[in-house]
Amino acid sequence: MTEYLIRRILQSVLVLFLITLVTFALIHAAPGGPAQIFLSPNMSQEAAKVQMHNLGLDKPVYIQYIRWIGDLLQGDLGYTFKNHIPVGDILWPTVKNTIVLMSAAWFLAMLIAIPWGIYNSTAEYGLSDQTASIISYIGFAMPTFWFGIILQEIFALKLDWLPLSDMWTMGKEGQPSDLLLHLVLPVTVLTLGFLAAYVKYSRSSMLEVLHQDYIRTARAKGVQERRVVFRHALRNALIPIITILGLDLPMLVAGAALTENVFNWPGMGRLFVNMALAREYSVLMAITLIVAVMVIIGNLIADLLYALVDPRVQLGRKGGRAA
Amino acid sequence: MSGAKLEAAGKPDLPRSNPKPPGPWRAVWHKFIRNPYALTGLCILLFFIITAVFARWLAPYNPSQIDLLYANLPAGTDNHLLGTDELGRDIFSRLLYSSQISLLVGFSVAIVSVVIGTLIGALSGYFGGWLDTCFMRLVDVMNSIPLLFLNILILAIFGSKFSYMILVLAFTSWMGVARLVRGTFLQLREMQYVEAAKAIGVSDWSIIFKHLLRNASFPIIVNATLMVGGAILSESALSYLGLGVQSPATSWGLMLTNAQEFMLVDPIQALYPGLCILIVVLAVNFIGDGIRDALDPRKKIKIPRRRLNQWRKDYSKFGT
Repeated sequence: MTEYLIRRILQSVLVLFLITLVTFALIHAAPGGPAQIFLSPNMSQEAAKVQMHNLGLDKPVYIQYIRWIGDLLQGDLGYTFKNHIPVGDILWPTVKNTIVLMSAAWFLAMLIAIPWGIYNSTAEYGLSDQTASIISYIGFAMPTFWFGIILQEIFALKLDWLPLSDMWTMGKEGQPSDLLLHLVLPVTVLTLGFLAAYVKYSRSSMLEVLHQDYIRTARAKGVQERRVVFRHALRNALIPIITILGLDLPMLVAGAALTENVFNWPGMGRLFVNMALAREYSVLMAITLIVAVMVIIGNLIADLLYALVDPRVQLGRKGGRAA
Repeated sequence: MSGAKLEAAGKPDLPRSNPKPPGPWRAVWHKFIRNPYALTGLCILLFFIITAVFARWLAPYNPSQIDLLYANLPAGTDNHLLGTDELGRDIFSRLLYSSQISLLVGFSVAIVSVVIGTLIGALSGYFGGWLDTCFMRLVDVMNSIPLLFLNILILAIFGSKFSYMILVLAFTSWMGVARLVRGTFLQLREMQYVEAAKAIGVSDWSIIFKHLLRNASFPIIVNATLMVGGAILSESALSYLGLGVQSPATSWGLMLTNAQEFMLVDPIQALYPGLCILIVVLAVNFIGDGIRDALDPRKKIKIPRRRLNQWRKDYSKFGT
């Protein structure tokens, strides 16, 4: 187990290294490189050179990369080109805001989807099952940002029940009730997206288990239906569900770029888009890194949980699932 | 639907006089058109394709013609079927021209990524070994990066040209096909006809392209169809963020950006482009599911109760 963990972490570090390398290479492959955002045509050659030197952009690319990694290891994410603000100062608050938004949507989706999926598996092709399947068809085919815009028009503009966008009303920063009101619309949009997938997963993984022989045996020996579903079937059906949830964990940080833009939510996704349009490469690098770390942690957690709930899975053994 | 024909075939006194059994494509097609959802999807998609192809003649106005005197007209006034937007551009014409862009992106991304994915999957499935390991690790790395972020990053760095967008979307969506083709090839390469082909000296490339790929083609088609919908959605998302299609060209996503900006003036504007995306993607997904079901021999065909009763009546010895 420990050996497995160590190997996984070493692998993760390698993948992270590759991702930073690729991102760095991409940015420096851009026509003009990172320098073009602060160099204006009416700048003198000398001034441009001084600027390049101050930001370390006149060195070869690999030296810049080593420098960047070195700073990173000391917890320094660098500075923005334009205003020379530390990247961490603008980044961390947005990470927090995104996590607030996404975890609300994620927990809500789970709370609705898993019981609903379980129920639908016991009443296949019933009214509730068909409703769920319609919802998931629409959820997969609908542009989420459009759904957001429509909700804004109905509930914020027409009915005036909820705030249109942003995270706080001016002057009410920090009041939980204000935050809740602002959360309703974006959480609805995000929940629908998660729901579409999760109901389907939990239903199909329950169905798979319910058709197995030991369930028939349990029914044959007279176990109550409720007990069959919740005791016998659910335990095994939860395994794939947990894996999916673990794999979706990075979405908590990365998943909301579109919704955040629609609702002007001051989160990381919106920051990424804004910084991409402004070509602030140091911020982009930092966000890519955070997202990659989250993805790797999510994968690791999914694998560990998998071994925890399913005693048949032995981590680290050759031929096992996680090997 | 071919209801009349089926009923005719169901009559006991009509002997089946089909000289040769239907080929796999025909069989799938017959199963496909009996699925009402798939058929509806196909009709809707064909309708959108036709309107997109003939947009130049169908559109009453030039989609980028600005006419500030007639801005924000409500639907139906002055020959503007759906009214005009904040710059006086005809919304109906813009919708028509946008469908060109969206469908073009959808289909070309699906084709390019299927080509990339098939090639990589075929190579790693057929040859195995270190090639397989490398490609599959690449798939793992690609799958662990949130693709929307990657798309945004690349488009922001290299600029949002139309051709770039298609390439970027294709390069970030080939992994599913690669996995699928690899899996199929791993099974197929153990088949005896492959061994036979090898024995008579057929080259590896011929085996891959003539024998294996043909047998793997059905699941690839299903995946490609579903990919069209995903590509249309991604395009609209990128255009909405301002990183995709750039004005004066139009796309449904771009129209939604405008609509959100002028939500207070003209709220109904946001409805049309979103509905178009929803309908097209839904249609494409129905078609994909229809093909998948038609290919699945275990999937039972739904026979309407009316036809079942008819059969009972026809075949019953005692009448009803």
